[in-house]
Order: sequence, then C-alpha cells, then structure tokens
Amino acid sequence: MDLLLSPQLLAAALIAGVLYALVALGLNLIYGTMRLLNVAHGELVMLGGYVAYWSFALLGAGPWPALILSPLATGLLGDALYRGLFRQLLANSALAQRIEANSLLLFFGVSIILQNLVSLAFTATPRGYQPFAAMVDLGAANLTGGRLLALFVAGIVTIAAVLLLRFNTVGLAIKALIQNREAASLAGIDIEKLERWSFVAGFAIAGLAGALVSMVEQLSPFMGFPYMIAAFVIIILGGLGNLTGSLIGGLVLGLLETYGVALTSPNYRSILVYGVFIAVLLVRPQGLLGRARIVR
Amino acid sequence: MKPDFRLLSAFFFAAMAALPLLAGDYYQGVGFQLLMWIALSQSWVLLSGLTGYISLGHVVFYGLGGYLTVLTWHIIPLPLAIPLSGLAAALFAVLIGYPVMRVRGPYFVILTFGLAELVKYIVINVEAALGRFGRLMMGAPDLSTLYWAMLALAMAATLLVVFIGRSRFGAGLRAIREDEPAAETAGVPAARYKLAAFALSALIPGMVGGLVALRTSYFEPQQIFSPTISFTVVTMAMIGGSDRARGPIMGALFLVLLSELLWANLAELYMIILGLLLIGFVLFAPTGLDGLLRRRGGR
Repeated sequence: MDLLLSPQLLAAALIAGVLYALVALGLNLIYGTMRLLNVAHGELVMLGGYVAYWSFALLGAGPWPALILSPLATGLLGDALYRGLFRQLLANSALAQRIEANSLLLFFGVSIILQNLVSLAFTATPRGYQPFAAMVDLGAANLTGGRLLALFVAGIVTIAAVLLLRFNTVGLAIKALIQNREAASLAGIDIEKLERWSFVAGFAIAGLAGALVSMVEQLSPFMGFPYMIAAFVIIILGGLGNLTGSLIGGLVLGLLETYGVALTSPNYRSILVYGVFIAVLLVRPQGLLGRARIVR
Repeated sequence: MKPDFRLLSAFFFAAMAALPLLAGDYYQGVGFQLLMWIALSQSWVLLSGLTGYISLGHVVFYGLGGYLTVLTWHIIPLPLAIPLSGLAAALFAVLIGYPVMRVRGPYFVILTFGLAELVKYIVINVEAALGRFGRLMMGAPDLSTLYWAMLALAMAATLLVVFIGRSRFGAGLRAIREDEPAAETAGVPAARYKLAAFALSALIPGMVGGLVALRTSYFEPQQIFSPTISFTVVTMAMIGGSDRARGPIMGALFLVLLSELLWANLAELYMIILGLLLIGFVLFAPTGLDGLLRRRGGR
C-alpha cells in the first residue's frame, strides 16, 4: 500500500500521462481532422528522439536545441509528405472514398521506410543520454532533471495547445472541419490550408514529444509502435477530434498503466494497455467522452 | 490478348507441385515460403477483400494455430493436430467474431491489430508463467512432407476464394463491402455472413501456423505472432490487387521473388523498398498488378 500512495509513483504516472497526452494530441490533429490513419505517428516520435539525441551529442548546448530542432525536423517532413502524398489522396475523390484504408497503407509504407532508414543510418542498437542526471528534490518526490523538464514542457505545450484551439478562430475552424468538411468549406474556411496546417502541426508535436521521450527513455529505431498504439487508445478514449479529451485520456492511460504495473508486474503492461484499448473499442467505439455519432 | 488467369494459375500450381522433384532443399524452402504467403493472403482476401473489413491482425490465427500445434506436439499425432489447429483458430474467430465484426471502418482495422497484440502478450505471459522461453521441437517431419502439406493448403485457400467469390455467399459479402445498410435492406444476413467469412478466413491460417512451427522447429511467441506477418499479408494482397484468387498469387510471387533478391544481405533495404512499393501502388495503381495486367490486356 505504501508504494501505491507514494508521491514518487504519482510523479511517474504524471510524466507518462503528459507524454502520452502530447503524443495523442498530434495524432488527434491528423486523424481527427482528416481521417488520415497515421500509423507512422510512433516513428515521428522516434525521429524526434533521434534528432534530440544527435543535437545533444553534437551541439554541446544541452537538451535545449532539441526543443526547437526536433519539431522543426518532423514538421518539415510533414510538409513534404503532405505535398508529396496526402494532398493528392485527399483531393482525388476515388482514393478519398476509402481514405482510411488508403492512408493507413500509405502511412504504413512511410513507417517501415523511416524505421529502416534510421536503422540503416544509426544501427538498431538502443541509445540514450541523460541531460541533468542530478536528482531534483521536490520535497515529496525525487526526479531527475530530465524527467522534470519532460513533465513541464509536455504539460505546458499540451495545455497551451488545448487552450489555443479552444479559444481562437483556428481552433473553431478545426472543430468545424471535424464536424463537417463540406459545410466548413461553404462557411469560408480554406480547407486545404487548414488541413496542411493541422498535418504539419501534428507532425511537429510528435517530434517534440520524441525529444522529451528521449530524455526519459532509451531510443531505438523500432520504439515507435507502443507510442502509436497508446496514442490510438487515448484518442479513442477521449473522442476523435476532441483535444481536451486527449489530454484527459493521456492522463488516464498514464495513471492506469503506472498503477496497473505497480499492482501486478511489468510483464502485464502490454496486456493492460491492449486490454483497455479493446474493451473501449468494443463497448464505446465513439470514445468514452465522444458523442454518439455514426462513423463511416 | 487477355491473359487467361485460370490456365496460368493451374500451370503455376502444377509447377509448384513439380518443384520438390527437381530442386534442392534451398529452393524447396523458398517454395514453402511462397505457398505459405499465398495461403495466408488468400485467406485474408476471403475476409478483407470481399467484405472491405480490413484486418490488420491476421497473424493472430496463424500464431494460435502454431501455438496449438506446439502444445499438442507428441501428444496428438500430426495429421490430426494440424487440422485441429485450423479448427481451433476458426473457433476463436467465431467466439470473438460477433462483437468484433460490429466495429466498422478504421476502428475495425486498429481493433484487429490490437487484438493480435493482446493475444501475443497473453501467450508470452503464459509461456513465461510455465517457465518456457522458446520451445525446441525435435523430430519434426522433413521439408518435403511439409512442402506437400503447404501446397495443399495454398490450393485449398485458392479454391475457397474462387468458389466463394462465385457463390451467393460471396455476392452477399461484396454487397456488404459496397454498402452494408443497403445490403441488409436487400436481405443479406450481414451479421451471419460476416461471422462466417471471419471464421473461414481463420481456418487455413491456423493450419499454416502449425506447419510453419514444424518447419522452423522452434517456437517463440514474439516471432510467430509478429505484426510484420499481418502487414506483409496486407501488402501482398494490395500489390496483387484483386478480390479474386489471382491477386494474392501475383502479390505473393512478386514479393517473395523480391525478398529472395534482397533479403539475404540487405534486410533494411528490402523493407524500405517494400514501403516504397506500397506507397506507389496505393497512389498510382490502386487496382494492383491485376489491374495493370487487365488494363494492358483490354487494349
């Protein structure tokens, strides 16, 4: 019982939760708005992590440059992919009819290309670094500086993004786009620009999340999978396109996973995450917080 | 001239049947792989090609079949154990089928994927609890026996797709793919048909999994439940590009030949090319090799 009540465990759960929330936020921007089933989302996290690793190792300015460089790199990749592949997919009505299946296959292609390019370039050996390895005493809990940084940045960015999209016109336009693409276009929203913006923003956020993940975990070219799955669990928990929902969903999953593992054993971690995922899908495919609606 | 696919397929299987008489162990191994992929992707087409419910977790049936064959190794004789593995996989599909097949579109895709991963981790934990970390199987049948069995499965899967594709059942499944509510209104018993297609598409992968476990003579859950298998099956079916039996044969043949050329020393390059091919086919040839050939033949 002592373990379960310890602030240390709560801090671990919170870190996992906000990182998950940030990863899911990026996915929600892409999947919620355009129905593009981004199965390469985990690879973007991985890529952001590698950019962070190399900028830490080569620039000698600590973990700070990564906070700009990682999202920049994945954002640029997003822009290139949007122009090269997905604009065509969204514009072509024959392909757009089966947008989910087709985008899934495209992103799957992107995903295996990224994994293997990184593996070819940097080998499959796990890598890690420790920025601010010293413990910071918070009174109740001790955290390494790196984990504290990850907690703060992820928390601030997630909350800022949620607030921003809730209270300004871009946020309203995105909401309109999620609800009805054609009606939004009739109301004078520049759909293509907005979609490109969401696409790039989703990629950039994944890159930033990757930079933060690299400060608390080891990197490998094939690390993306569990993050992609967690992100899907969360956006299904929180409802598609519901950004506040993905923040709450992320925290719920972080708590569930951390406390679940503390109660049982680390071996059950994957069973727990997939179990929740399947239970939610079967019981309420529209999401725990989502409104009932017909999804085609 | 329009290619006669029926004749070509018959010729293909005849050639595959002659292979063990002419070629050595290495090419028999490659042939075994090819037949395995044909059997798996035909089974996938039976569900996902016909109904449009894209399964990204077909490895679950293959893995369960393999696991069952391993568990009953030396307990139940093989000629019985392999069909039993297939039946068990189909039974599993029936048990989970009703709730799973209610989930539609993208949710179905990620659900099937998640389900396969869940089963994988359950099997890993069961094995760990039993204190087993990989099982070695001594005295498995030799390659040519397994080859004939796999040939039979690949042909059975192909014939299943041919006959179901032509039947009333197949027409019903296609109607579900085009417009499920309309199909139901027109009297297609959608729930029952979907469940039947799900179970049928699990049957042969279950047996294939058993044969592969015998061939590798080593069992490791991470390996036999690897999501790469599901992904490869989907890619093959997409590259073949048809809801008819010829699609998977072409897709499997194409990818197996490609991997023979590249895999041995350039595993990463092979995967990268696989990704590029997938993207290329989705964007520029959504009807796959089959569509390309037919367009050429039609002219």
